[in-house]
Amino acid sequence: MNTNCDHVVDYLNGTLTAEEKQAFEQHLATCADCRELVDAVGELPYLAEPAEPPVGMKSRILANVFEEEPQKQAEPERQVKKEKTVPMVKPKARRSSWAPLIAAVLLLSLLGNAYAFFKLADEQQPATESAFQSIELQPGEAFGGSAKAAIIQEEGSLEVVVQAEQLEQLQGDEVYQIWLLKEGQPVPAGAFTPDADQQGSAYYSMTENTEGWDTIAITREPEAGNETPEGEIVLSSEI
Amino acid sequence: MEKSSDFMLYTRIQQKEKAALEQLYDRYEKILFSFLYKMTEDRDLAEEALQEVFIKLWRGKGEYDESKGKFTSWLFTMSRNSAIDLIRKQKKPSVPLDEIGDLVSPETAVEELAEWQEQKDQIQEAVSELSSEQQKMIQLFYFKGMTHETISTMCDIPLGTVKSRIRLALSKLKKTLHGVQERGAIDDEY
Ligand SMILES: [Zn+2]
Repeated sequence: MNTNCDHVVDYLNGTLTAEEKQAFEQHLATCADCRELVDAVGELPYLAEPAEPPVGMKSRILANVFEEEPQKQAEPERQVKKEKTVPMVKPKARRSSWAPLIAAVLLLSLLGNAYAFFKLADEQQPATESAFQSIELQPGEAFGGSAKAAIIQEEGSLEVVVQAEQLEQLQGDEVYQIWLLKEGQPVPAGAFTPDADQQGSAYYSMTENTEGWDTIAITREPEAGNETPEGEIVLSSEI
Repeated sequence: MEKSSDFMLYTRIQQKEKAALEQLYDRYEKILFSFLYKMTEDRDLAEEALQEVFIKLWRGKGEYDESKGKFTSWLFTMSRNSAIDLIRKQKKPSVPLDEIGDLVSPETAVEELAEWQEQKDQIQEAVSELSSEQQKMIQLFYFKGMTHETISTMCDIPLGTVKSRIRLALSKLKKTLHGVQERGAIDDEY
């Protein structure tokens, strides 16, 4: 029995702090003793005498449960509006301005690369095989928005994360389209639309043609899916 | 079999499948309500606590995986905590020790056979092998949701030793239940 085992009573009572709880759950995963104790305690409710549930309880409870759920199902399936979920991610990154981007990467992918990115952003120390570049995009004339991009290059893959704010609202099918350019030749690299807070973000990953990009740009495109830009450039930067 | 399908249901609930939540509700309504009623001694409070449990499940608060023990252990712990919150909010005046019922209620001749009779027989037997002091600890701590302070005052034991006594009682329960289950397994073979 180690000191972690002492926490089992507090764990059952739900009086551990979030951190302690997490630590104990890790312990629980490896300590058969504690798990058996938790499971033995888990048999205690069966001591209860059968009590007849009140009439209509099921429909009341289910109605309340489903009603309580905030409406968020109807959002379009785009790679945007992920920032709302940021607080769920453990705020590990000390560079707070990057936290939403990191969160976006973690949320949008289960890629191994995301971890590398996370570590890089956290420690600000490039690992041997990957490169992390953070870019502040410059707005074009008369464009009020701003954006940051993170480009993570690893052997055989390139990830682009863009986070933009104070965006102008779009009309109709318009999207903000991200492009990577090499000697003036653009390829699409993700798109997003602003949310109610005029923010948007996108994550894009490519495994071919990952090297040699010199420019990143965002255009306001009349529609999603264009292979070459039709709209004007609103934000851009050299890479 | 039963366990993995609980886990399946739980997974589907996390994916916001209403039918899965309803199935889980149907599966555990009776035992959860009975358990919560035993704790709160109030049908309205028991219903309120039960609703909290399913709201938490639906919102995905607290995550279950098999490294945390059985699904039912996790579900019951969450339910118990909901009940404790409500009990403490109520601030009922505390009842004298001798008016608090026993951990195992005396059986009556006409007792309805519980759906969970088999588990009940086992845990009841395991509990009966504990000292009366240990049974009391479990009753006050687990079912009545009393704080360590209350238990300390009520049973006149130093606050510093309450936790270790609870832990000791639970450890003992783990052992006696294990014994009962093993004997059961042997009985089944004949
Ligand atoms: Zn342990």
